[in-house]
Amino acid sequence: MASMDVPADVPKRTQTAPPTQAAAVRATPAPVLTWVTLALMTTSSVASLRAAPTMAVYGLACVFLYLVPAVVFLLPTALVSAELASGWSGGVYRWVSEGLSKPLGFLAVWCQFAMTIFYYPSLLAFVASTISYVIDPSLASNGLYTAIVIMVLYWTGVWVSSRGTKALAGLSSWGLIIGTLVPGTILVVLGIVFLGQGNPSAAPMTASHLLPEWTGLASLVLIVNNFLSYSGMEMNAVHVSSLKDPAKEYPKSMFLAMGLVLLIFILPALAISWVVPADQTSLTAGVMQAFNAFFSYFHIGWMTPIAAVMLVAASLGGMLTWLAGPSKGLLEISRSEGYLPPFLQKLNKYGIQQNILVTQGVVTTAIALMYALIPNVSSVYWIFSTITTQVYLIVYLLMFAAAMRLRKTQPDHPRGYRVPALHLMCTVGLLASVAALAIGFVPPSQFGGGSVWSYVLLIGGGLVILGLLIPYAFLKFRKPTWRTERSAS
Amino acid sequence: MSPTRFASEHKWIYLGAILVLVVLAIIGIVQYESVKSTNEAAEKANKLADAAEDAGYPRPDTEVIERALGTDGGIVCEDPATALRSALWKINVSNGAAFVGQRPVIGDTKALRAEAKILEIYCPEKLDRFKDRFDDLKTDDTVRRDA
Repeated sequence: MASMDVPADVPKRTQTAPPTQAAAVRATPAPVLTWVTLALMTTSSVASLRAAPTMAVYGLACVFLYLVPAVVFLLPTALVSAELASGWSGGVYRWVSEGLSKPLGFLAVWCQFAMTIFYYPSLLAFVASTISYVIDPSLASNGLYTAIVIMVLYWTGVWVSSRGTKALAGLSSWGLIIGTLVPGTILVVLGIVFLGQGNPSAAPMTASHLLPEWTGLASLVLIVNNFLSYSGMEMNAVHVSSLKDPAKEYPKSMFLAMGLVLLIFILPALAISWVVPADQTSLTAGVMQAFNAFFSYFHIGWMTPIAAVMLVAASLGGMLTWLAGPSKGLLEISRSEGYLPPFLQKLNKYGIQQNILVTQGVVTTAIALMYALIPNVSSVYWIFSTITTQVYLIVYLLMFAAAMRLRKTQPDHPRGYRVPALHLMCTVGLLASVAALAIGFVPPSQFGGGSVWSYVLLIGGGLVILGLLIPYAFLKFRKPTWRTERSAS
Repeated sequence: MSPTRFASEHKWIYLGAILVLVVLAIIGIVQYESVKSTNEAAEKANKLADAAEDAGYPRPDTEVIERALGTDGGIVCEDPATALRSALWKINVSNGAAFVGQRPVIGDTKALRAEAKILEIYCPEKLDRFKDRFDDLKTDDTVRRDA
């Protein structure tokens, strides 16, 4: 990350920025992200230790629960996006625009963008609760405290994102290193020490425990929903033009990210399952309680607040990548096709889509305040997690379809990397996405004994409104004058 | 803006972030209370270990339970049934995603009941409100426990 302080990528905005902005943009040197930094950003967007205690409960079966989705979802997503990004800059909107149609390209990036609005409050509420563990655990139940922390962290994230890609690339990369790789390594090393001391693993590690218990639908939901653990691998492709040699470097970046994501998900979860019995894991106290139990064994319980701070760093680093990626894609297709009003297309002096970020921030603020201050909203907030993941799956359906079509319609277009057996890979990815979409309609634990059909209507209604009606309205009411940039194609 | 000023501004962002994290870590270490081993803590740890065995797990180390939960259950017993904690709890009954792919699942019955067991032993006065919440859940046995 030697290049962290180089300004963000700017080539396209020099075509359209107002004279003063354009001058400011021209004064900055050429953008450069290293492929390692991009790999760390990608990993930071997808993996952290937050899920480790939850998955440790499954013991050795957590390996199965991560590896099967890796084969049917992570591998197709990573390889296909590596091929597409090595041939076309701009990320998912550009791939789908080129492969299918421009309105579908807008739909893809809209879905990627819209789902994050509902995601930030729950992520930041987790961060607020983790910070409260460090300062005063009773604060986690305080709505005002939670609202203030969400607001301060979110708007600080917007401010950092608006300073350029490089600022957030540095913070998200270091967030991953400090908040995930270092504590993850500590967990694994201590776990190995635990076993090396001759202690029996708290969770059975025999071959018969490699597979999760099969109980029919509940097990299917668990396995298929875990496909989504790898959501977001393609998101940072929007920064591909920031690489020196995207065609060669992006695939390398994806392979490194893929390896890191797998290691981060699997090894720390296994280490926790060796040391902490599943009956000591509290989902209310969550990650910190599991870490406390883990470190207590080694008489280093004081490490728990440090681990909490590290987790906060990782979560905020991941949030920064999500703030910057989808909004940038949305901006780029909107500028070339006029899908958003000119107000939302305006750039700040760093060439960042500040008005999109601020508008998104206003909506997120309203949702976050409701989450923190209205108990009826917070108690049903988990429903938004399902709706948003359903919306995100539309992106993958479009991406795999676009990749197959681009191989057919533009076989000679230069690509730095070609996926072997692309059609097979895309078919597997498509089927996995459809399966995850279908399983999303199965009511989870939180829905209790409610009617299945009312759940289907709830999730289906949310999916249609957020993923189809709103982008349709943008397409329907757009005006030719909203186009502020020559079409990329 | 000159590249030098650009780099300088980023430096302040990084330094600010580091400073906030270091201050938080120091507060955390100062605030951290090491749990002392007492007869009450040992007795409660033994009860929880018995419950774990009954649930089909290997018997956990009671000293570790003592250090993690002490006599009062620590963070587990800290307002377990308030709206915001319930919300986080519900969000945590999910798959293995760490970011945007996090999605609710059908949770494991015994794993979810484990928390109720901790509350029952360490802070029984808070169990009722938690149980109300738990009783509404649809669960299944998704964790393999047989030896």
